[in-house]
Amino acid sequence: MKNTMKVQRAIKDVTQAQLAEIIGVSRQTINAIEKNKYVPSTVLTLKLARFFEVAVERIFELTEED
Amino acid sequence: MEKSYLLPHRFKKTGWILLVLGIAFGIAMRFFGIDSDYFGRIPFLGIVTENFLTSNKHFFKVAENGFLDELVAVLIILGGVLVGFCKTKIEDEFILQMRLSSLVWSVYVNYGILFLAVLFVFDMPFFDVMVLNMFTVLLFFIIRFHIQLHKANRL
Repeated sequence: MKNTMKVQRAIKDVTQAQLAEIIGVSRQTINAIEKNKYVPSTVLTLKLARFFEVAVERIFELTEED
Repeated sequence: MEKSYLLPHRFKKTGWILLVLGIAFGIAMRFFGIDSDYFGRIPFLGIVTENFLTSNKHFFKVAENGFLDELVAVLIILGGVLVGFCKTKIEDEFILQMRLSSLVWSVYVNYGILFLAVLFVFDMPFFDVMVLNMFTVLLFFIIRFHIQLHKANRL
């Protein structure tokens, strides 16, 4: 899975730490998601989509390996 | 979300203090010849005790016992459980996942060591392994989990 978290974050102009606080997770979690080290749960994914005001598919995309 | 069975974050510092004290006393007993009577003896209620020479079992007998070894075990168990299972400041799903994988890892390593010890260590040295093995599953977990947390911090 790949993601456009960084881009979305830039559009909303928030740092990892700010985003983490808004969503209610740790900064490490946001970082791990951006680095593709962690696949977030559905709930967390939906929260991210709600904050970025885009569809989930705009943030996360399946790749060949999935 | 499912129940996580974790303890509140505020107990974690207490946990560290107890754990470090326990390990320090444990090392002192093991390597510096301090024995269990070092701080004196106090009466304990032994639910089961056994006379070394006669092998007679006694039930519910109050007997004096040097308490340092009990203290070490109690400190390490309480401290270890608190350090291992108090929530981090922000305990979220990613951290829970690291916690789980660290726990699985430590159980594997712990029983891997015990498995080898069962086959290759005998008599008193095996007894020593068993004594250490009481605590290593917790200690391995704590070490592994905190290394993972540290790594995630620096990603």
